[in-house]
Amino acid sequence: MSFDPDDEILQDFLVEAGEILEQLGEQLVDLEQSPTDSELLNAVFRGFHTIKGGASFVGLNNMVEVCHVAEDVFNQLRQGEREINAHLMDVILRVVDAVNDMFETVRGGVEAGPAAPELISQLKAIHDGTAVSEFDAAAAPASAPAPVAQEGAESTEPPSKLLAESGDDGDITDEEFEKLLDALDESETQVESATVDIEESAVSADDEITEEEFEQLLDDIHGDAQPGGQPTAEAATPVVSEDDITEEEFDMLLDNLHGKGQAPAAPAEASTAAGSGDEISEDEFENLLDDLHGKGSHGGVPLDTQAEQLVAQAAETTEQIAMAASTADTAPAPAPAVEAAPPAAPVTPAAESQPKPVAEAKTPAKPKTGKDAAPQGETTVRVDTKRLDDIMNMVGELVLVRNRLVTLESAMGNEEMAQAIGNLDLVTADLQTAVMKTRMQPIKKVFGRFPRVVRDLARSLRKEVSLDLFGEDTDLDKNLVEALADPLVHLVRNAVDHGIEMPDVRESVGKLKQGTVVLGAAQEGDHILLTIQDDGGGMDPDVLRAKAVEKGVMDAESARRLTDSEAFSLIFAPGFSTKDEISDISGRGVGMDVVKTRIVQLNGTIEIDSKLGVGTKLAIKVPLTLAIMPTLMVRLDEQIFALPLVSVNEIFNLDLTHTNTIDGQVCVMLRDSPLPIYFLRDWLVNQMNGVKKEAVGHVVVVTVGNQRVGFVVEHLIGQEEVVIKPLGAGLKGTQGLSGATITGDGRIALILDVPGLVKHYGRQMAHT
Amino acid sequence: MPIRVLVVDDSSFFRRQISKIIEGDPDIEVVDMAVDGQDAIEKARTLKPDVITMDVEMPVLDGISAVRAIMQDAPTAILMFSSLTQDGAKATLDALEAGAVDFLPKRFEDIARDKEQVARVLRERIKAVARPGASASIARVIAKPKIDKKPAPAQSSKASGASASNSGRFQILAIGTSTGGPIALQTVLTDLPADFPLPIVLVQHMPGSFTPAFAERLDQLCSIHVKQAEDGEALKPGVAYLAPGGMQMRIVGRGQIEISEGDSSLTYKPSVDITFDSLADEYNKNVLALVLTGMGHDGSEGARNLKLKGSEVWAQDEASSVVYGMPAAVNDAGTSSKVLALDAFGREILKAI
Repeated sequence: MSFDPDDEILQDFLVEAGEILEQLGEQLVDLEQSPTDSELLNAVFRGFHTIKGGASFVGLNNMVEVCHVAEDVFNQLRQGEREINAHLMDVILRVVDAVNDMFETVRGGVEAGPAAPELISQLKAIHDGTAVSEFDAAAAPASAPAPVAQEGAESTEPPSKLLAESGDDGDITDEEFEKLLDALDESETQVESATVDIEESAVSADDEITEEEFEQLLDDIHGDAQPGGQPTAEAATPVVSEDDITEEEFDMLLDNLHGKGQAPAAPAEASTAAGSGDEISEDEFENLLDDLHGKGSHGGVPLDTQAEQLVAQAAETTEQIAMAASTADTAPAPAPAVEAAPPAAPVTPAAESQPKPVAEAKTPAKPKTGKDAAPQGETTVRVDTKRLDDIMNMVGELVLVRNRLVTLESAMGNEEMAQAIGNLDLVTADLQTAVMKTRMQPIKKVFGRFPRVVRDLARSLRKEVSLDLFGEDTDLDKNLVEALADPLVHLVRNAVDHGIEMPDVRESVGKLKQGTVVLGAAQEGDHILLTIQDDGGGMDPDVLRAKAVEKGVMDAESARRLTDSEAFSLIFAPGFSTKDEISDISGRGVGMDVVKTRIVQLNGTIEIDSKLGVGTKLAIKVPLTLAIMPTLMVRLDEQIFALPLVSVNEIFNLDLTHTNTIDGQVCVMLRDSPLPIYFLRDWLVNQMNGVKKEAVGHVVVVTVGNQRVGFVVEHLIGQEEVVIKPLGAGLKGTQGLSGATITGDGRIALILDVPGLVKHYGRQMAHT
Repeated sequence: MPIRVLVVDDSSFFRRQISKIIEGDPDIEVVDMAVDGQDAIEKARTLKPDVITMDVEMPVLDGISAVRAIMQDAPTAILMFSSLTQDGAKATLDALEAGAVDFLPKRFEDIARDKEQVARVLRERIKAVARPGASASIARVIAKPKIDKKPAPAQSSKASGASASNSGRFQILAIGTSTGGPIALQTVLTDLPADFPLPIVLVQHMPGSFTPAFAERLDQLCSIHVKQAEDGEALKPGVAYLAPGGMQMRIVGRGQIEISEGDSSLTYKPSVDITFDSLADEYNKNVLALVLTGMGHDGSEGARNLKLKGSEVWAQDEASSVVYGMPAAVNDAGTSSKVLALDAFGREILKAI
């Protein structure tokens, strides 16, 4: 069968295969800890079996080949004919990597090349329990390791010479079979797999790894092309994290933030191996559509023209959402499509347009749209994330319109209007939550790769580390999940690399040889809290202070004045690394500041706490959604600004006569500690310098990293949930601004990027 | 009334693909899908489909156990999707023994070169096995208590109690069969005593990777000795020789087996016609040939030749046939002199020789 990357069946297969591959990674690491767990063995067997089956159906012979041998090995394992050892584990993990590579290649629209021949022959050698070089296998067809029973039609791929040359077409006589069983019984212990490849020279059955294996592991970690020339253009595999992020990734992240809602479609995206579809349950979908049609009424009340227009706008937006929602569920069988779009809609303007979208739904949709071909038995629908992003955008617009109506209504004081608006408010809030939920994924998707990361890293560093995960079911927005993946991987690797000490060091200070890294997620109100904790050596604030001075980040005096907590935050400074030698894994000093930047881009915060000798804990907070954000609206002169509420700690009134100045920095005493304050007006509003400051103002205390600062504003307007809109070309890149929005009374408010503000203007202030 | 199918597979990808193929034919429809053996049993019970397609490897409960349970509960025609490997052969035979009516390779490439043909074969097979009688007769066969009749080597036992005399009329027994064959052969052959006086040649449509295991399985169950035929072997009485899958079997020069690749254009490998023809040449009127359940009409030409030479041909009846194709061809042409129910063959054979 010829390779057609757009083939719907192929795409279908890729989605399922992707899910299985993810699970396989986890299961294998679990299996290493409990090698005789028969459930796990069976599950892994089935995993390879299913991928093999599907791959053969779509003609991906290279994938079939490697999965086939892996399946055979696991069949032996689950039948108890073989036991897991370190070498087997290594080879299998490399096999999973190879399959992942092929998978990514195919996903990128290119036919995958075969797996490295050495890998296959190693796998086969394990299966046969013999050390058979390619030479031997070719020369002795009759007693060749034929239990890799090939079906007649299989050997179409040149590199797998073994299959072609052994001449065995799958029929083995009783005698051959007996011989093989004997061979297997005798050579239980791992014989040297004397392959042509020098990389596996040592007897790998014991726990020591050789130089070459170490290299191999590092290569694997950094996703270099497998020996044997895989045509992978992609250097980043799902298991790998890079210390740098590319220009593209950066842009993509910004796009995500500013609600362009581009699902990462480009294969160059270093994202998870999850397919391009998302699943929302039938119920959620129904609810979504119910919300659109059933509840709330728009019309029937004499209206002010402006309000009328807005209502029409709202109705229109609702229609659009309804359309998008219906076309997202394009099941070819007409019955489910009609069923899913509840025809029982009370007569609203939106309902009339319903038959149209359903009709549209029947025509074959764009190739990218996932659809469920089965008429019954499946309760999920695969939806392209782009559609969900679009719906999210529209909901955002709806929120803005609602805000506007709310403001207008309060001015008008119309009783019935107020009621209607109140309903709209409720429905919109529900709609917003419902749509957000469709985009939610459990963080398990990201957490899934960590056991492997930790395992590989610990092995290569010869440390013993166990990883505990909790809160895997915590849901967050899909974009967030993807955006957090790399930073989290980096932080976990740091914990293993810098945090956990070598086993002998640990023992000498009375700790258990095995270190523990705990990775957790929990939802706290409107944001997610992620923690990475290790029981390693902790950080020494003085060492950090010294480093800061040494690297020229600050002078000795300022360094001395840093609190311990501020000292810990130093590791986020660019170029800051306390590792003297740069290893491949970390130590280049580009990691942490990028991590921090990423998190800040997500409107999140990151804090570190550490205790020397005891361990380190990192806490990351990110808001639940990127597109809609609760803010505090403030007014400076005539201009309105929005401060992300997640950064806001408290607000109090300021008697400006009670300020002090320390080192040129204006401060105010807040509960006995000095709080630096900044007059936002000076930064953000033109020609305010020199104008006399009011005697009394409001101070909004915000958190920036570990520090707290106060922003002085003249007027507080109140809390408002806003939709983040990207800045226009003219303003884009302005320091301190992260976007804009339209307020309830129709004006434009600029959304402040708090850390950016402080960083940019704070320094300037210090110099004046 | 379209044929109602229950699709069972733990892979959602496969479920969808198979369903798509089935739904493409107006005469068959997918009534539901199940994700594992337990789910399959429950759905089979409530929905009572006409045909079930069943995967072997599944979590919670595997396919073979599910087949067993379903055939006990409410016999239904079950098509196994098996992989054509050594282990796959064993699993398939287990499935057939548990009561599955037929099997299809999971690697669709092996059925056909292209997807169109895959679809056609699948649909044909489903329609062929959807007869209510088929599964009932299988259920009866598997319900019989199974005794491992294989004696220790160098011993013979008369498990069936009947002993055989030879009137001399026949010198060889030949049986040709296809879909539903494994169970049919098991039924007939287990009725024959260890001292059965004739050599037996068996032609079963089956892939080459399966026939060795199948021969072994039969050998364990029967009093007579069953083995896969080897090129150059001499026929012995009381031994049944199974033609190797993918090859052609002829009998030449007074009782010698010849195994060859045969013409690659032949549809059936092994082909019943080819074996029967060679028997007609060699044995003239001394052959007792049986044509049992199967799709198509392989064997009808060979049977006609046998009859012309004076040999006797018997065929299976419609009621007990899983697929009444091959026997029908022979019966309708008037070639068969006896039409028997499956469990009558053993008795009749012993009477006739």
